[in-house]
Amino acid sequence: MAEQLALTIHGLTKSYGKVKALRGIDLEVQQGEIFGFLGPNGAGKTTTIRCALDLIRPDGGSIRLLGIDPQADPVAVKARTGYLPGELQMDDNLTGESQLRFLNELRGRKADWKYVRELADHLDLDLKRPIRNLSKGNKVKVGVLQALMHRPEMLLLDEPTFGLDPLMQQEVLRLLVEAKRNGATVFFSSHILSEVQAVAERVGIIRRGKIVEVAGTHTLINRSLRRVRIQFRDSVDPAALTRVPGVSLLKGGDGKAVTLQVEGEMDGLVKALAAFPVVDFETERPSLEEIFLAYYEDERNSHKEAE
Amino acid sequence: MWAVFRHQLRRFRGSILGWGIILGLLAAAFVSVFSSIDAQMEQLQQLIQQFPTDLFAFFGVSMESLTALGLLDIKFFSYMPMVLGIFAVAAGSGLLAGDEEKGQLDLVLSHPVSRREFFFGRVLAFLAALAAIPAIIWGGFAVAIGQTVLDVSPLQIARPLVSLGAMVLLFGTLALLLSMVLPSRRMASSVAGLLLVASFFITGMAELDPGLKAIADFSPFSYYQGGKAITDGLNVGWIIGLLVPAVVFTLLAWWRFERRDIRVAGEGGWRLALPGRNRPARQRPSEARQTL
Repeated sequence: MAEQLALTIHGLTKSYGKVKALRGIDLEVQQGEIFGFLGPNGAGKTTTIRCALDLIRPDGGSIRLLGIDPQADPVAVKARTGYLPGELQMDDNLTGESQLRFLNELRGRKADWKYVRELADHLDLDLKRPIRNLSKGNKVKVGVLQALMHRPEMLLLDEPTFGLDPLMQQEVLRLLVEAKRNGATVFFSSHILSEVQAVAERVGIIRRGKIVEVAGTHTLINRSLRRVRIQFRDSVDPAALTRVPGVSLLKGGDGKAVTLQVEGEMDGLVKALAAFPVVDFETERPSLEEIFLAYYEDERNSHKEAE
Repeated sequence: MWAVFRHQLRRFRGSILGWGIILGLLAAAFVSVFSSIDAQMEQLQQLIQQFPTDLFAFFGVSMESLTALGLLDIKFFSYMPMVLGIFAVAAGSGLLAGDEEKGQLDLVLSHPVSRREFFFGRVLAFLAALAAIPAIIWGGFAVAIGQTVLDVSPLQIARPLVSLGAMVLLFGTLALLLSMVLPSRRMASSVAGLLLVASFFITGMAELDPGLKAIADFSPFSYYQGGKAITDGLNVGWIIGLLVPAVVFTLLAWWRFERRDIRVAGEGGWRLALPGRNRPARQRPSEARQTL
């Protein structure tokens, strides 16, 4: 099992002075999966990634990236990973190509330059332009390119689509899926939930330096609340439906149009509906965004209660 | 390490050429001017005797040393550690902290290069820059001396430049160490610059007031030979005395760099953690986006 894990984090803690950025992170990422790391700004996403690359040193806990302790052998870890910083800054005086060539030299010239040009074409990126003349989006493209150019086993990307237009966001996500198809593990942080939902197989939600949920993206969506709208031919008493465990009434109207909230399986409700003349039946799953917000709603409520 | 060295040296290229060519031309101009007035030195000495002797004592120059080479010492070599010190302090303090404050180290250090290799790659480029500028200055001297009747060889004129190199290296490495200890590059370069200026004045003042001699013994300028190295030969002991602390500063900076968190905008504080100061560091506009 341990060999199948690309990233293992246990009890990771990190403080900046009095600010506790990480309060005991536990996380496992399987090899070959795309893992979305969700959380708002300040939750601890960047700190976690930077600890994994030995850019900052944790106060406690352990990390294994591709089976290696990044603090014991950072060079070995970095040789096998591609990283895109959240706050990407490059040497403004260089062109995109010179920047990439320098970074490639640091990698012992592992990148295939034909592949680099191919990626640049996919991203519609002109590598001859000085970085100082590039837009934020084009700088991010250079960043994505440098992370992918040596075909790493593990990709650690901090907000990889930040600053890109929607078309380019799609292109970057496509490249991540392609990297996974070629055997890479992709770990990327984001606060754009739709993109996580689009490509990630599993999702970790971090809140105030703690992981609050790790689950398959679809599992997370499936197991949560559903909204059901039913249109009856004749008016019905909603109480007959809300007696089913896990079902509650959201909107009753005149008894002909009813909106219910269902927690868990639908079986009980479907059986209860068999007794009524149903004209239309519509279910709606919550988006990852709604689930995500629900976690934060819980947190706000618990804070209010504490006060 | 060599990739880091080459890259950093390329970044120093403009500074090396800028500082080297300007100071090399200045050196050549001084040699030409002072050699041309060498013939009238007797009259010049009479004229200079009108000036307060303290002025010359400040620079450690006696009236007897008022020759073309003596003037070269006063007008060029005595100021050079201050002039080239500006470059050394700026480059030393920015060698790592400059890119760190810009957020560029994050990307570079995520590549398979150890902190040790990265550090020494950059330090070697810094050393090369500090050697290249005096070398260009020496070129200016060598060309100008060839056109004059001054009785000095190119090798002799290289001696004060060795002393100069050791002197600015000391302050450059001090700035590097301070940039690893203090919260910002600006603070590191300010402190190192202040120490450079203070050292210059304390040594100069000690020539006027013997009571300051004990303090001046701790000043690096007291071990800088300047133009006197042309005639007196290099004081190797003094050169070593300047180089040993430079090596110690470099090793301490490395020790600190190996152990510290690489900062990006929004992380940690840029201010000294002084007692009673609990306010978070003020963020630059680019730091406004929280990246914890």
